[in-house]
Amino acid sequence: MDNLAKHLLQRLMRRIPASMLQSTLDKWGRLTAEKRKSLDFTQSKLTITQELVALCEESELTVKHITELEMIYVTENPNQGMWHTFQLLDPEDDAHSVELMQFKEQFKSHLSELKRNVSVKIKKHTDEAVWIRVAWGDGLSRPNHLKATYVVHYLQTPYVFVNALSSKNKPLLLQALTLSTKHQQIKAANLSGQKLTALRDLLMRQYQQVFPTKYPSPLPESDQSISKLRIEKVQAEASANRHRMAGETFGDGMLPALQSAFFQLETKFKDPTNEAMTQRDEPFICSVKFSSSNLLESLRHCASSGIASTPVTPLLSSIPLKGRNYFVITDNVPNA
Amino acid sequence: MEGASTRGVLSHLSLLEVQARSRGSQVPQQPSRVKELKAKVEALTSQRDQLKAELQIHKKLQKLRAPVDKRREDGEDEEMDVDSESSELFHLMARHSELTDLLHAHNLIGGYDAITTNGGKGMCFSLATEYEGAYLDTYKLELNLKPKVRISRHNIPPFIPLNSLAEQSDLQTDVRAFLATVSQHLNAFAGRRQQLKLVKEQHKSIEVMESNLLCSILVLMFTVPKDKTPLLCTLEYTDHTRCLPTRVHLNCQDKLLPDSPNWKKNCSLLKEVPVHRALTAIKKASDIV
Repeated sequence: MDNLAKHLLQRLMRRIPASMLQSTLDKWGRLTAEKRKSLDFTQSKLTITQELVALCEESELTVKHITELEMIYVTENPNQGMWHTFQLLDPEDDAHSVELMQFKEQFKSHLSELKRNVSVKIKKHTDEAVWIRVAWGDGLSRPNHLKATYVVHYLQTPYVFVNALSSKNKPLLLQALTLSTKHQQIKAANLSGQKLTALRDLLMRQYQQVFPTKYPSPLPESDQSISKLRIEKVQAEASANRHRMAGETFGDGMLPALQSAFFQLETKFKDPTNEAMTQRDEPFICSVKFSSSNLLESLRHCASSGIASTPVTPLLSSIPLKGRNYFVITDNVPNA
Repeated sequence: MEGASTRGVLSHLSLLEVQARSRGSQVPQQPSRVKELKAKVEALTSQRDQLKAELQIHKKLQKLRAPVDKRREDGEDEEMDVDSESSELFHLMARHSELTDLLHAHNLIGGYDAITTNGGKGMCFSLATEYEGAYLDTYKLELNLKPKVRISRHNIPPFIPLNSLAEQSDLQTDVRAFLATVSQHLNAFAGRRQQLKLVKEQHKSIEVMESNLLCSILVLMFTVPKDKTPLLCTLEYTDHTRCLPTRVHLNCQDKLLPDSPNWKKNCSLLKEVPVHRALTAIKKASDIV
């Protein structure tokens, strides 16, 4: 096992939390069952790492195998790093019949045409997601496995999720993706975050949306005392309306755990008491960032409790409706 | 002492007895009073229901009259006499209830349902999917009608090409054609997905090697009973409006097997019959394990 493989393995072991170590190694399957049994997982991580390196050396594992292990770990724990979304546009006529083998071949060949010395690994996950790991080298150097880019794409959908892509390699990757999925264009989708599962659930509509129905409210209970009815009715109707509008805008139940929204305002300053600012010709540039452990649930609660006025302003309702969390707002066009 | 208190109790008791006896003659009046009151309650309740129903009808009439009244306000048809106005109103009402009933019937036979939203500026369609008599998922599609007909919200998954379907059938003039196509695609997708689910449930000896979200491709691994050779079967569903494959392709180490008459028959069976049932038939013929 060469030094690079050892280094890669040690780095990877630092990333994997102790609780997930055993299951990840089991899924990897490159070490025989008896070798895995010989590892004592109650020891310190450092000791386990040393023993693991020794076992891998015995089994003559290479960089290729270690990158497999990394890919397994990232695929099972995708909610780390920063994921950016891109959208494929203008599909060609046969875009809808692109199947896995075809996509794999085309992607690998297009990418290696654009850049030599790239190492590409493609794997299909059980939920039909195609995971791609790209280690970038160039004409002179070997692929850098320490800073690999990860890409997730579901075939026949327009969305691509990318993690750890440098601006130098961005045009190459995007072009390879566009060509191999038989589209003509790709653009940034203005949706990014740490939790891949949240971004994916939002765009693939994997949460409970609420639509207007013929019979919106359940039958009222008939055994409430009359005095209670009179007192609560005034508040109940307004509150029910707010809940309904909040639910229609954001959805019901568990919402995708989006963690931030970013508004970049480029509008003219409007405060009549501050002449110095209003006299300037250039727009006033201001950015507003919302952060939360679950932004959509927070916004829904704001709307249903009355903190945010209902009907919900398009600035906030665009987040689930358009599936984006980065907005540039200018004076003429509210949502660029 | 004792004698005095018992005398007091006894005399009190006898006093009560006399009172009860004198009141006894008044008791029969109570049930009739109760009956009277109950009858009154019933009469009032039915009057209230009647008034409620009349109120509803008036409200509906008002709603239907509104466009006619508005026209009068705008200064047109001021000389319309009462007869033609009410006949036009009745015509509108009849048309409205005819359309509502038609829509309801359409929904009952499994077609889509529609309601207006946003004060008439939008419509929300419920597209139900079914396969082999069982209802599957229902998808919703909202359209904005003013200023142009546009798709607004929906919960249709992104691998159904909604936008290109909207471009193909002109949304402005023919919404029904668009909805029919979308419903066709959704039902076909739901059918294919249900078939895959049944294959996984009913045929555990067959391994699903590949599938995709749209369920437009399916690669299965069979085991031929003779010498346990693996046989790879690829089903391509290129027509996304159908639940049956357009192409069936076999791959085997034994190059002669796919050309055998049995397997040629099986291939055409797979193109004509839903996959889970075709597999049951092929298993019965002992062509696969």
